[in-house]
Amino acid sequence: MTGALVLEASGLGRTFGDVVALEDVSFRVPAGQVVGLLGHNGAGKTTTIRLMNGLLAPTTGGAKTLGHDPWREGPAVRAGTGVLTETPSLDDRMTAREAMAFWAELWGVPRPEVRPRIDDLLERFDLAGRADDRIGGYSRGMRQRLALARTLIHDPPVLFLDEPTAALDPIASIGVRDLVRSLAVGRDRTILICTHNLAEAQELCDRVIILRRGRVIADGTPSEVAGSAALPTRVELELDLEHAEIGLRIARAASEGNASDLGGGRIAIDGLGRDGVPGLVAELVAAGASVYRVTPDQPTLEDAYVALYGDAES
Amino acid sequence: MVPLIIVPVMFFVLFPALAVIGVRAGGDAIDELRPLLDVLPPEITRTLGPGPLERQILVYLLEYQFATFFLIVPLMVCAVIAADSFAGEKERRTLEALLYSPTSDRELYVAKLLGPWLAAIAVSVIGWLLFAVLVNVLAAGDIGRPVAISVLWLLVLGWLGPAVGALAISVLVVVSARVRGFQEAYQLGGVIVLPVVALFVAQLVGAVVLDARLAVLLGAIVWVIAGTLLFFASRGFRRERLLRQV
Repeated sequence: MTGALVLEASGLGRTFGDVVALEDVSFRVPAGQVVGLLGHNGAGKTTTIRLMNGLLAPTTGGAKTLGHDPWREGPAVRAGTGVLTETPSLDDRMTAREAMAFWAELWGVPRPEVRPRIDDLLERFDLAGRADDRIGGYSRGMRQRLALARTLIHDPPVLFLDEPTAALDPIASIGVRDLVRSLAVGRDRTILICTHNLAEAQELCDRVIILRRGRVIADGTPSEVAGSAALPTRVELELDLEHAEIGLRIARAASEGNASDLGGGRIAIDGLGRDGVPGLVAELVAAGASVYRVTPDQPTLEDAYVALYGDAES
Repeated sequence: MVPLIIVPVMFFVLFPALAVIGVRAGGDAIDELRPLLDVLPPEITRTLGPGPLERQILVYLLEYQFATFFLIVPLMVCAVIAADSFAGEKERRTLEALLYSPTSDRELYVAKLLGPWLAAIAVSVIGWLLFAVLVNVLAAGDIGRPVAISVLWLLVLGWLGPAVGALAISVLVVVSARVRGFQEAYQLGGVIVLPVVALFVAQLVGAVVLDARLAVLLGAIVWVIAGTLLFFASRGFRRERLLRQV
């Protein structure tokens, strides 16, 4: 399965009256890839999920999910996808076990497999101890874990996770993130994650697609996207205090003056580039400086996101 | 659940019991109910049989008036459940996940119709059984024959009652899909009870009597109306429209 395309969007667009929610969005996702769909509120992330699952018809372009047209073959598509909606969408009146059994029946899970799957998922998502309690009494983190467990009841090859850690406290977020990470292990499941959390996207995703006002403004691995923003690199050196002055002089010469003293023997150099680092270190050593640390500071996905959004604004 | 249990118990057990006990214990005051029979057409009066006024009043109430009254139960059961069908899901914020299920729009629509309708039939049948047992235990001796087991009752139970339920659903599922909450759906759709109330009142004043022939005719008309509404509603039923209100 790995390698075959499971998600395809080609010039995908959707308008609601005068509002353009999505415009000319194209991407292809092979099986086993974990893709982050990033963007501000209203960028079109949830609309993309709805289009890929056949809940909305495209205004322009087309899509394929697991080889099917989502709009024309909605039930076939949705039989193979699991969607974690932005709100957990759980019935407070049911227990976790009842809710899972309902969804198992809805997704046509064979009867003999229902109970073992529910037990396994509730155990895996640390809900086994509260399986027979009403969902109305669950914490937010528990509800999110249950909603995530629900997406797996029919063992779908494709998952869409809309803001999986939104509105969760840091501990709960870590727990959910760990669960999402475990879903990606083995590369037999394709996951599309919508998130505002760029650190989370950088950590979990093989690839990120950034949307702005319904259009794709970046698409690549997190480091590719970070690099594509053409942000200046920074290198930080740590020298022996006695050699800080001579180190600063050499660093300024190498970087056309873009070096600053951070104190404590630390020097920051902007715009040097990776290729300039070995030569600078050799020069410092030749001048007798003791170099304790060299840290190239690569732009993060967050830096790139801010820069790309700023460029797109202008 | 509470209204789905309390109201049928009232209609099928409490009211009939009170009616039988009241008529029996009425004494001379029963003469004040004579106008109920005086407005009836002769073909209906003939079915009440000979005998004392008390007996005739009991036959009229148990065979005719309660048959009309009975229609409120399937209508109410369908109304309560159908009003919750989409509006309740929106209120509980469970609708979006349901829309992502591997069902077609038509399957979703039919499921939301069948649920209330089958529940109404079940409540009606169980209620009628309770009613039939109760009134026969209480009144068959006075009347001299079994009651509530007649062609009219079977038509009300199996033809007109389900038709009325289908009509309630056809209105309330559409309303429920368009409003945001259960209460709003239930209040807007509550007008569906008016035709049954009108029939009940018309029967009280003698303007009309629900007999077997009228039950067949009314049932046919209601089925046609309900079927038409359901057909056109199903054509416009789309997940996309529901999504706008999630």
